[in-house]
Amino acid sequence: MNKHRWSALSLATLIVAAAGCGGGGTSATPGKADLAAPKEKSGTLTMVTKFANPEYAPYFEKVVAEYEKANPKVDVKLEQVGDQAYKDKIRVLSASRDLPDIYFSWAGDFTNKFVRAGLAADLTSEIGPSTPWGSTFAPAALKAFEYSGKNYGMPLDLDGKYLAYNKAVFDKAGVTVPTSFEDLLTSCDKLKAAGVQPIAFGNQYGWAAIHYITQLNAYDVPAKTLTADYNPASGAFTDPGYVTALKQFSDLVGRCGTKDANGLSHETAQAQFLSGKAGMHYLESVEFEAVDKAKPPLDWGFFRLPAPAGAAGDASALTGAPDGFLVNAQSKNAGLAVDFLKFMTSQQNAAALTKELGWLSPVKGSASTANANKQLTDALADMDKAGNFAIWLDTITHAEVASAYLSGVEGMLSGSKSPEQVMTGVREAAAKAKKEVG
Amino acid sequence: MGALLTRWRAWVWVLPAVALLLVFVYYPIVDNLRLSFFSWNAFSPEPRFVGVDNYTEMFTDPVFWRALLNNIAYAVVSLVFQAGLSLVLAALLEELVGKRLRGLLRTLYFIPAAMSITVAGVLFSFLYNPRYGLVNEALQAVGLGHLARAWLGEESSAIWSVIAMSQWQSIGYTAVLFVVAMQRIPREYYEAAKVDGSGAVRTFFSITLPMVREMTTLIVILTISGAFLVFNEVMVMTAGGPDNSSQVLGTWLYRKAFFEDDMGYAASVATVIFVITFAIAAGQLALSRRRRYDT
Repeated sequence: MNKHRWSALSLATLIVAAAGCGGGGTSATPGKADLAAPKEKSGTLTMVTKFANPEYAPYFEKVVAEYEKANPKVDVKLEQVGDQAYKDKIRVLSASRDLPDIYFSWAGDFTNKFVRAGLAADLTSEIGPSTPWGSTFAPAALKAFEYSGKNYGMPLDLDGKYLAYNKAVFDKAGVTVPTSFEDLLTSCDKLKAAGVQPIAFGNQYGWAAIHYITQLNAYDVPAKTLTADYNPASGAFTDPGYVTALKQFSDLVGRCGTKDANGLSHETAQAQFLSGKAGMHYLESVEFEAVDKAKPPLDWGFFRLPAPAGAAGDASALTGAPDGFLVNAQSKNAGLAVDFLKFMTSQQNAAALTKELGWLSPVKGSASTANANKQLTDALADMDKAGNFAIWLDTITHAEVASAYLSGVEGMLSGSKSPEQVMTGVREAAAKAKKEVG
Repeated sequence: MGALLTRWRAWVWVLPAVALLLVFVYYPIVDNLRLSFFSWNAFSPEPRFVGVDNYTEMFTDPVFWRALLNNIAYAVVSLVFQAGLSLVLAALLEELVGKRLRGLLRTLYFIPAAMSITVAGVLFSFLYNPRYGLVNEALQAVGLGHLARAWLGEESSAIWSVIAMSQWQSIGYTAVLFVVAMQRIPREYYEAAKVDGSGAVRTFFSITLPMVREMTTLIVILTISGAFLVFNEVMVMTAGGPDNSSQVLGTWLYRKAFFEDDMGYAASVATVIFVITFAIAAGQLALSRRRRYDT
């Protein structure tokens, strides 16, 4: 009994602690952090990432160790937590105005929240497209962390979403790479007739479906409308393209996927694809490494989710976005933090990111046949062609809108909601977000 | 003078505990209530006073009611299994099973309770997996394949699947509590009943049941308040999905606070949880006090 009571109270305590500590009332005006490199590099830098996974963590530890070795008077305190835990941790740290000097962020409204609250330093003078450091990055990647014409983040990796396909399965079913959305649906019918699952799809936590919707929204809604709607201050979501996108996705799942998607994790679905039991799988380029490690090896290729014929939006947009790091606007070591980030994105470290983690770096020229396989260099070439990144729908929109989309699409998949009903929920959430942002 | 000194000394001894309670228990409760009247999030510099807006929004939100109903379902099912069935289980263990087997069975029933709830949740996620899960395989094996489904992925079955896991985990624990209570019943009563020609069922209803009344009350209260505080198992197995169909108050609070950045709304959910569990605790206190006067 007591144990239970404590757990209820601790939930309440957590929230209140978050609020109570924030009572200091730091002003919301963006902090003018001093970004100039310090004359003498010394002091302590704090940094929090979301890369605690054993396959990712060593890279960041290594970069920190090398920086400390080059600058013996600097002590970098690196803390790495898991993906989900990071979302909680960074909120508690924000509320208590106790952010580390450098912290991880997703592109889109997730970053913009920090900007609006004056918690992210304006890095334009250092990483703006025309600066020496800024010009080492792919412009589209820098743009993902732009807010009101200013640069607030350093892009760490490049990530694009592609449909990977099993060449052997395609050959056996007599299917070629589809060139339009309608073509994809027909290919699914053929694969099904040949007795394979066309697309392996697991949507246990909702985001997997949202990645499809991100791409379809970009195809079906004019870019200008999309930008206005994704901005919480002007989101309306009245364009008929949104319903079209949901209907197309519904068709896609009906003809290419399975009914039990809500009960399957993305990883389970991926395993199905890796073992050759499915023809296609929608995955991120950061996951290419996993496909390459499949046993027995898989002969595979990838293509973009093809655009529907006559779609009203941007057919060249690609779902994906860089992840990145922000600098705390209140940091006393902002100059040192920038120096560390420059070190992290040196040619050498960027190339190591690709070699060791299989992630593409936004640093120009960092991927070559020496450190990346063919699929990765192909993906990089394709991303260069992309008109712009369609940033993940669940991080680009306000959290209320993201939540409405996530649960709404789950409801649509399980048959309890129609596309129109999903959009009604999204519009209500957008109205609430608008009120909140003011 | 001496008495005053003694009293002061007593205060000095209890003060640290009182201070800790005030800071970590009572202050958060009061402050949570205050914050539920504000619109704020981790990023907003200043909480904005909105009166009872958070409560109005919550009470008109269908997800809140679904979460509350799920908690109630949790409580009802838990009562049936953890107070009802486990009592029968305990009686069977005590009365009918041989001594050596009894020890073994007691351990077997208790093992799930010793398991971390997160581990149990992950384990059951595998059992419920629509592709290779044991549940669907078992159904197919006995010719009930048409009942197979994505247990955690369908709105109609998600919360019930989580509740079922919870029963598996807790039934052994409450059964052992009942066993302990039954062992304290003097054997003479049972002998007397036997002499009077009473059968096993009659003995259960006329002797065992009345004699474990105190323990039953305790378990009922424990189960109900536990059902309103459930969080971990839902978070691990479904995170409230699909489409919020398996949200309970705890997970809904969490999603509002840490996903949707709506701390004010979350604080009002916390207030509701507090009121419910406080009422249950008060009921428990009142009951146990009355019982004390009875004897």
